[in-house]
Amino acid sequence: MNVGKAIPYVDAHERVDGSIGFTINMEVPGMLYAKVLRSSSPHARLLKVDASKAESLPDVVTVLTDADFGPDSDMELLYGSMKGDQPVVAHDKVRYVGEPIAVIAAEDPVIAENALSLIDVEYEDLTPIFDPHEADAEGAPLVHDEFGTNVCSYFRLRHGDIEAGFAKADRVFEHCFYSPPAQQFPLEPHVTIASVNADSATLWSSTQAPYPVRESVATVLKLPEDRVRIVVPPLGGGYGAKNFVKLEPMVAATARKAGRPVKLSLSREEEFVTVTKHPAAVTIKTGVKADGTIMARKVDIHWSGGAYADTTPPVARGGGVTATGPYRVPHAWVDSRAMYTNLPQAGSFRGLAVSQVVWAYESQMDIIADALSMDPLEFRLHNLIGEGEKWVTGERMNDSHYKDLIHEVADKIEWDKPARSEGHLRRGKGLGVSLKATITPSTAHAYLKLDHTGTLWVFASSVEMGQGIKTALVQIAADAVGVPLEQVRIVDPDTSVTPYDMTTSSSRSTFSSGTAIKNAAQNLRSQLLELASGKLGYDPANVEITGGFLRSKNASGEGISLVELLRRTNHNELFAEGRFETQGGLDPETGQGKASEHWHQGAGAAEVEVDTETGKITVLRYHAASYAGRVVNPTNVRLQNEGNVVYGLGPTLFEEIDFDNGQVANPNLDSYPIPSLEDAPKHLTSSALETPDAETPYGVGESTLPPVAPAIANAVFRATGVRIYHLPITPEKVLRALRAKKEQSE
Amino acid sequence: MSQGTRSKQNTQELRLQVNGEDKRVEVETGETLLNVLRDKLRLFGSRHGCGIGYCGACTILVGNKPVSSCIMLAIQVEGKQLTTIEGLSQNGELHPIQQAFLDHSAFQCSYCTPGFILTTRVLLDENPSPSREEIREYLVGNLCRCGSYYNIIEAVEDAAVRMQASKHIT
Repeated sequence: MNVGKAIPYVDAHERVDGSIGFTINMEVPGMLYAKVLRSSSPHARLLKVDASKAESLPDVVTVLTDADFGPDSDMELLYGSMKGDQPVVAHDKVRYVGEPIAVIAAEDPVIAENALSLIDVEYEDLTPIFDPHEADAEGAPLVHDEFGTNVCSYFRLRHGDIEAGFAKADRVFEHCFYSPPAQQFPLEPHVTIASVNADSATLWSSTQAPYPVRESVATVLKLPEDRVRIVVPPLGGGYGAKNFVKLEPMVAATARKAGRPVKLSLSREEEFVTVTKHPAAVTIKTGVKADGTIMARKVDIHWSGGAYADTTPPVARGGGVTATGPYRVPHAWVDSRAMYTNLPQAGSFRGLAVSQVVWAYESQMDIIADALSMDPLEFRLHNLIGEGEKWVTGERMNDSHYKDLIHEVADKIEWDKPARSEGHLRRGKGLGVSLKATITPSTAHAYLKLDHTGTLWVFASSVEMGQGIKTALVQIAADAVGVPLEQVRIVDPDTSVTPYDMTTSSSRSTFSSGTAIKNAAQNLRSQLLELASGKLGYDPANVEITGGFLRSKNASGEGISLVELLRRTNHNELFAEGRFETQGGLDPETGQGKASEHWHQGAGAAEVEVDTETGKITVLRYHAASYAGRVVNPTNVRLQNEGNVVYGLGPTLFEEIDFDNGQVANPNLDSYPIPSLEDAPKHLTSSALETPDAETPYGVGESTLPPVAPAIANAVFRATGVRIYHLPITPEKVLRALRAKKEQSE
Repeated sequence: MSQGTRSKQNTQELRLQVNGEDKRVEVETGETLLNVLRDKLRLFGSRHGCGIGYCGACTILVGNKPVSSCIMLAIQVEGKQLTTIEGLSQNGELHPIQQAFLDHSAFQCSYCTPGFILTTRVLLDENPSPSREEIREYLVGNLCRCGSYYNIIEAVEDAAVRMQASKHIT
């Protein structure tokens, strides 16, 4: 068996010798280089865009502007996977600083860059709106005039009788927690190459979502989807930044106009105006009995979605539905409102939508525990949802492991032993637990091909972005068919070759594509059994396939190799397909129904040291735990579980995009640091809980990321007595809070 | 230089040794070393990350010093010996550091991996058996956004042991 083994990445050799082929390394014969002219105003009418001077330069081949999208154009201006609200290049209006206005394609990137300044743009400034609450107010300036509202997406959940619930509570707590914008920061930027002919297009792109990208490119080029091919080499990091469509429409449109292939590779500064993490203000009100039983929870979330929808609707839904946490809440009410604002579009971010609400509910859990003089672990255990119990959506929570997870992390940091403080170095421990949905309903397909050399080919559209999905799927395929691991090959996603998969996001790929592969394997095995039972005379009820051989169960000898079986039955290859689809969905009025096929469950425990003279926080140790169902590859699971913690430390301790009148003031590492080895916890450990004999891998994905921020904030509170409500928890904020506390006590 | 055009006057021929081979390459005076490595010498193991010398993805060795090739001008390395990730394996055999990174899965997306491996080579030259704290300190200028730091530390520790062992043999 290969599933469960710590097998090295199938592409490990090319990862350590540097030869792995990222999109950024690719070239296509005759290709041009694109550069983008971007808006300098957060909100303005576009009075003029004149590219004639730039276009007349000798080595500039073309300039794409909104003039290319008139009524007789062969291209469509608007696209978007959730809402068709985004123009390929700004039309009539610009809605954020950094919005593309024109794309120059030239023989050389330096020429393209230099030519940008020759494009003449005139703006008539309009009042911008940045804050989601202000955007939601009566009479606010409209980001999209034609919509008549700034509401991009609104999710609500109604469960029980919220007022009655508060009436039964002995104590009611209300707090607001804020998460700022942040940047996913994949080290490989977004890169797209497009080659467009009269009736077809091929794109190589660093995307997590080849099929949604195909749909948008087909829309913009007015081509049938089957005439558009999206090829996805391995990604140099994604973290949600590359989920759904990003540069592809712009590059495809430029390539069509140029009549030549075009490559666009973003600068780091451009990354910051291409996608961000949703800033969110979460107001959470919780009523509890004196014994610590939660009676009611009401949550209002205001997300800033930026100028275009991107993945905002699933964020409003995913954050909204989980906003009361993995707890038994008899009376729940959630309003999750995502607003259009004059900021770059917010999109998927590792820990999608959940990090912002976990920051709120897990911080508040400790505030309440403290007020009730209860131990934070006991308070959680008293309220965590148990196996088979009904949750706030009305669905039953099966395979519910929150209590085990929080016990696990608490044990690992010796929760029962007090942290030792000395002088101005105060130590404390903190906990956090979270749940996260996986997109439901969703669909994944997979193909398997067994060829005459005995090689098993796996075709799936799950994107390899470092999470090790290729390795996991190869392990699953090898076991499911019964061939040695080294005889399995997996093909990179290519929409003309690999079958439909929704996206590589939402911690879903091991589970969804893995199950589709198992279904395809069943089909392939049936074909093999049928061949063997024909003229070869095997009894299909009494044969097994392992190690690339088919044999009768009780017979001695090695049986017949699959290569030989194909040869003797005159088959060059066998082909099988498999499909996996989940069902579910929520009532739009009440949020009742089935939110998720299964739940990604995570917990974390931190011990921190706070220097009360400088405010500096050192994470001494951290233990992360997630529920894995069945672990496919323990090495990769550990990388994900611990990588989440390191990644999560950034937005917890220092990452925040600073917008100055809509302009990013810190668009690179000199002013926007990300976690280094010095920032990683001094001791970092993790565990993946499994159910014995579980068949199905859940995929651990992002599960351990959301608890990071509240676990650390809770530890800081227990170390110093100060509570931070506004991420990131910087030394300045800690010092200010310490001073305020001191002044209060004096 | 007039706007929008590219002057080819400010170019010069650069002689240097890359991974043990003598190279001559035409470079512009303002061109970065990373650009020359990737676009002219076709060595794609050196990666473009932040462009300001902070992330370490573009790390190469000049002589035996790790440098950020994205902020170094190509003309600064005239006559120097450069080592990139492509120069580390010998006769198709991975360098012990590469093998240790492979065995410990000391990466996820691996965009940062060549930079880590090259910096590690210099670390182990200078300090054949570094402590955990010394590893952390030395590699602080190489960033792994996936967060594989603990696997990286373990790989470096293991690489140190392997390299010590191979020294005893030779």
